[in-house]
Amino acid sequence: MALLLPLVTGLGSMFQTTIVAIKIVNLTGSLLISSSLAAIVYKIIVDGAYSYKMLYVDHLSAVLLSILAVLTVTSMLFSISYMEKDLSHGHITFQMLRKYYGLLNVLLFTMISVLIVGNLGLMWVAVEATTLASAFLVAFYFNHSALEAAWKYIMVCTVGICLALLGTTLLYYAQVSVVGSDLNALNWLELKKISSELDPAIVKLAFIFILIGYGTKVGLAPMHTWLPDAHSQAPAPISALLSGIVLSCAAYAILRNLIVVQEVINHEFLQELLIGFGVFSIAIAIPFILVQHDLKRLLAYSSVEHMGIIMLGIGVGTTLSIYGALLHMINHAFAKSALFYMAGVITQEYQTKHIARIRGLVSTMPLVGTMFIISILAITGTPPFGIFISKFIILEAIFAKEWLSLGAGVLLLLSGIFAGMIYYCLAMAFGSKPKYRASTVSIGKPALMAMSISVVLMILTGLYIPTWLNDMLTMAASIVVGG
Amino acid sequence: MNILTILLLFTTLLLTRVSELKTAVRIIAIQSLMLALACTIVGIETGEVQTYVAAVLTVIIKAGFLPYVLIKIVATLQQEHEDHPILSFNYSSLVACIAIVLAYGLIDQALPGAGSRDALATAVAMTLIGLLLIMTRRQAVMQIMGIITMENGIYLVGLSVTKGFPLIIELGVFFDVLVAVRVLGILTYRLKLAGLSTDTSILKKLKG
Repeated sequence: MALLLPLVTGLGSMFQTTIVAIKIVNLTGSLLISSSLAAIVYKIIVDGAYSYKMLYVDHLSAVLLSILAVLTVTSMLFSISYMEKDLSHGHITFQMLRKYYGLLNVLLFTMISVLIVGNLGLMWVAVEATTLASAFLVAFYFNHSALEAAWKYIMVCTVGICLALLGTTLLYYAQVSVVGSDLNALNWLELKKISSELDPAIVKLAFIFILIGYGTKVGLAPMHTWLPDAHSQAPAPISALLSGIVLSCAAYAILRNLIVVQEVINHEFLQELLIGFGVFSIAIAIPFILVQHDLKRLLAYSSVEHMGIIMLGIGVGTTLSIYGALLHMINHAFAKSALFYMAGVITQEYQTKHIARIRGLVSTMPLVGTMFIISILAITGTPPFGIFISKFIILEAIFAKEWLSLGAGVLLLLSGIFAGMIYYCLAMAFGSKPKYRASTVSIGKPALMAMSISVVLMILTGLYIPTWLNDMLTMAASIVVGG
Repeated sequence: MNILTILLLFTTLLLTRVSELKTAVRIIAIQSLMLALACTIVGIETGEVQTYVAAVLTVIIKAGFLPYVLIKIVATLQQEHEDHPILSFNYSSLVACIAIVLAYGLIDQALPGAGSRDALATAVAMTLIGLLLIMTRRQAVMQIMGIITMENGIYLVGLSVTKGFPLIIELGVFFDVLVAVRVLGILTYRLKLAGLSTDTSILKKLKG
């Protein structure tokens, strides 16, 4: 049901002839998608995990499905204002608008598939499909830089994902040599059951390929090179989706594989691998954040950093740290999507992505400016916002393991990133208003709604985590650890 | 089967030497045909229907449709050759040979006694050489060739160690390859439309 809806909406928007009709079709479509996702999440919370033929969902999928449910609505709301403005500025034609909504819905479809299939092979197909569906959205403006970004995006990610296919093939080989080929090929529940009999050497090799493959899509350093290009060139709502949920979907794929292989390979090897990638990603983001001239690239490098933190949390491998990592996925999705929406409004208004040319946000756009400062404070991990809580949990888990130098090092790196982000944010928010822009500007209502939903949720998760969310995260974390 | 693996390896090595884009596309078509043949042989050995289906799909998609589309794109590009690859033709052939040796070493280390040793080594070598093409060629179309070679290689790995994936996964993988190459083709065409060369070394505006 949830799979069909985006397809129908996408097809619907391809055939509409007026802007108003496209808006209505897509808004109702996204609301329906979100509510069906919410229904799935609700069913998981009440009844626990359930499966149907090739599909399987449990609390871990529920965490990501709930993020997707929120982002579907906000990104659609924001798209409406953003694309309308682009249309009126003459950047795009009406034909392109239809394609945009069509592809956006295909992207939603592929992401839902990643989260609800119960089979590592099909999951590979779905993750690759998210790349392909978003490639044209990255190249959407079809100018030199957008084409370059899309080319790099699809090249790097396809090569990466090919390696993941190799890893998946090897894992399948390990399974076949134990049980022979049957219908349960690569089904992770079956794999987990027989995991003690799998050949450790092959599984280890397979996991290295899988981690590098999906890690490319997550944006882990040093395979992150496509990420800042793609995020900076795509239309703002797409950047928000890419950063908020597409990266997390790939991280989810890694988690699913991890659940299977951790029974076979020794934990220290896995920990070193994951923590190594995580810390390296955090570290590599710093120089690029400190010397950055492009607003959207600044946010993109911050995504690299946050994906690093999530990997770190997964790598530490205790229930607490994985709880933190999953909570961090949620918080990061809300905060980063809000920031990309604002970046979209700002770049459309100032007609530039150059940080140096954006000044006096608070006086030109009081509401957006204020929310921008709040969101930057949140994303850098200032209390009382959600990201502070989840970072704190991950660090607490590290210190609980008495890895003092690792914890201290990560804290140092994070403070460096805080300094860089705040410096640029304050420069943009205050400073003198540009002379050529006298009056305050109007921002579309849907866009404002999208931003406020994200900001409000971001603040809420910092102040109060409802019981059902807490239970869901705890269950999900124990699934990962091996419950 | 042995003759087939040798021929497959030969076509892959040939790819490191061509500069004419059209020739490269034809070589890929032949390579995919041979892959389909290998698929059929495995099908005869195991007697499973799905392997035949995979063979037919390989012929239609990888040896038929994709080369057709790529040839059409190349035709619109007029004067585009791989003139000055990042690694010259001689050196890339040499590296490709090293890759073959490496492949044998790798499978002896990691997968001793899995399937046929030669087919597996060929498969790994094809994957590595595909990667080499992607990294050292400037022409967009040549990089696409690299991706197809790499995918063919991984497919052969699957074929020689597990007799292929279950049909539903297989179909998904085929669909993804089809769409990936199609998308890359359209991007290449767009590069051309934007008045740019399809030499990807001009794509270095985005930095930092």
